Amino acid sequence: MRAAKKTKLLAKQLFKLSVVNGAVSAEQVAGVLGWVEKTAPRQPVTLLKLYRGYIAAELAKSRAIVEHAGAVTDATLKMIEGAMTQKYRRVVTASAKPNPALIAGLRVRVGSDVYESTVAGQLATLSSAV
Amino acid sequence: MSNVIDQIESQIAKLSSKAVKKNTGTIRTVADGVAKLDGLSDVMYNEMVAFPGGAIGIALNLEEDEVGCVVLGDVAQLKEGDEVATTGKLLSVPVGKALLGRVVDALGRPVDGKGPIDAKETYPVEKIAPGIMVRKSVNQPLFTGIMAIDSMIPIGRGQRELIIGDRGTGKTTICIDTIINQARINKVGLASGAKDFRPVYSIYVAVGQKQSNVVRTIAALEAAGALEYTVIVSAPAADNPANQYLAPFSGAAIGEWFMENGMDALIVYDDLSKHAVAYRQISLILKRPSGREAYPGDVFYLHSRLLERAARLDGKGSLTALPVIETQAGDVSAYIPTNVISITDGQIFLETDLFNQGIRPAVSVGLSVSRVGSSAQVKVTKQVGGKLKGELAQFRELAAFAQFGSDLDAKTKAQLDRGARIVELFKQPQLNPLAIEMQAAILWLLQKNYFDSIDTKQVVAAANSLKDYLTTRKADLLASIRNEAKLTDAIEAGLKAAADEWKATFAAKK
Repeated sequence: MRAAKKTKLLAKQLFKLSVVNGAVSAEQVAGVLGWVEKTAPRQPVTLLKLYRGYIAAELAKSRAIVEHAGAVTDATLKMIEGAMTQKYRRVVTASAKPNPALIAGLRVRVGSDVYESTVAGQLATLSSAV
Repeated sequence: MSNVIDQIESQIAKLSSKAVKKNTGTIRTVADGVAKLDGLSDVMYNEMVAFPGGAIGIALNLEEDEVGCVVLGDVAQLKEGDEVATTGKLLSVPVGKALLGRVVDALGRPVDGKGPIDAKETYPVEKIAPGIMVRKSVNQPLFTGIMAIDSMIPIGRGQRELIIGDRGTGKTTICIDTIINQARINKVGLASGAKDFRPVYSIYVAVGQKQSNVVRTIAALEAAGALEYTVIVSAPAADNPANQYLAPFSGAAIGEWFMENGMDALIVYDDLSKHAVAYRQISLILKRPSGREAYPGDVFYLHSRLLERAARLDGKGSLTALPVIETQAGDVSAYIPTNVISITDGQIFLETDLFNQGIRPAVSVGLSVSRVGSSAQVKVTKQVGGKLKGELAQFRELAAFAQFGSDLDAKTKAQLDRGARIVELFKQPQLNPLAIEMQAAILWLLQKNYFDSIDTKQVVAAANSLKDYLTTRKADLLASIRNEAKLTDAIEAGLKAAADEWKATFAAKK
């Protein structure tokens, strides 16, 4: 079902209410969910799906997913957290995710930004340049 | 050999020490050549976006929570959830003289099977048109080789002249004739070694046309020896609308290279009606608000920003544009025709009725105009053809009235006779442009009433006989008209002698 303009607007407003001091507040999210259950607005499923999308996109900005092909130490993750926190001027937490397809190296994803330093990525760059 | 290994190793070292930053997103939906994307928070308007499998797209809609992107390539391989990345580049096409004689697609890739194009430079497809200060007024002629146009509706270098008419009225033929005429002038000029000679290179952009028509055009240009001075940008009807939308802009970028590098170029957009239709299709799929005839609100801007790129630059070259518009049942007041008429510096209107009467090119003198006017004509044309447009317009008016009454006074009858002869004289077979010196010679004979004693039905044969006579026997006279570009006493005397001699031989043959 296509989201009506009003539903999109409401989802956006609910999302804004859920962010406190630049971070998603679990308490506020619980409040929003309670309000939706209580008042039963139009297109509730669509509204919640849109709301979920906004919250997920916001959470992704504060999370660095570190894909790696070898071992990654806690010190490396801490270093990445520090660098990304400084870069994005918000608290960024790092989490490791093994990915053998990378062959070697790291790929860090923060929101829609990807920092690639993997052998697989370099091979892809080389093959497209040849 | 070790040097090569060193180079490779240094490249590897460079790559391995550097983390590459990409801005990525995912495909939400793909339909009708348009992808809706999540993410891509840093994407720029008109930026190239890399899809999996080597396909590229252009970000056209930047919305709050999604990006609308046209895909240039095979969309069959793309699926929901695929990752896309920004490239940081605007769409560019190869430019330069290496493209001459080649047929390329909307992205500048060769499609003629003649191998890769060795282009040294690329130009962005979208570029802001030159401003006021760098422009120069249009005062150099660009000869089409069509007598009716060169004498009455002259086109100058850097002008935008619209070719408009119903289907099958000879719009493309005028454009092809002009390209062929320019190629002939280039050959003569370059062979003469004249220092101030400026060749005109042509770009023919085929938008939404049948492949067979494009092939026919290429064959006509090749047969006339004009392909070596021409670049063909092809986005046929079978191509996706994104390519059809981009092709004129790619052609403009190719033409701009010639202009920026001190050369003159001619670009034909054949045609902008189909271009507007392709843009409408993309806009509707992108869910942009539609306006009149379901075209988006910026369809005027689409054509104005394209045609404004044609200019004559101070201290550099020029880009002349011949956009083509197809009308429906001769309606020039439809949306797209009125838009393009208001943007261009004049229009050549082709009438179906004239075409069906055998008057070809079917130029409607009353509705055609060149706003640059006589400043884009050489002196010899002004001297011999200054009053032609008025005479012909008067003839059409009188001819319409003459249908109602049988008794005509002598003056009206003389005007009708003369008009009928001018109409006959302006008939010209396709792919056969006339050099300006030949046009001047024929019009001089018309001005001096040499055709008055010839039966109207014989005028075409007489003109052909005159052309043969001048080409074979009076090449020096033609060369002096070409070089002097004005009627001197000596040239007039030569023309009189030649005309008298030809008239006698033509009368004898009859």
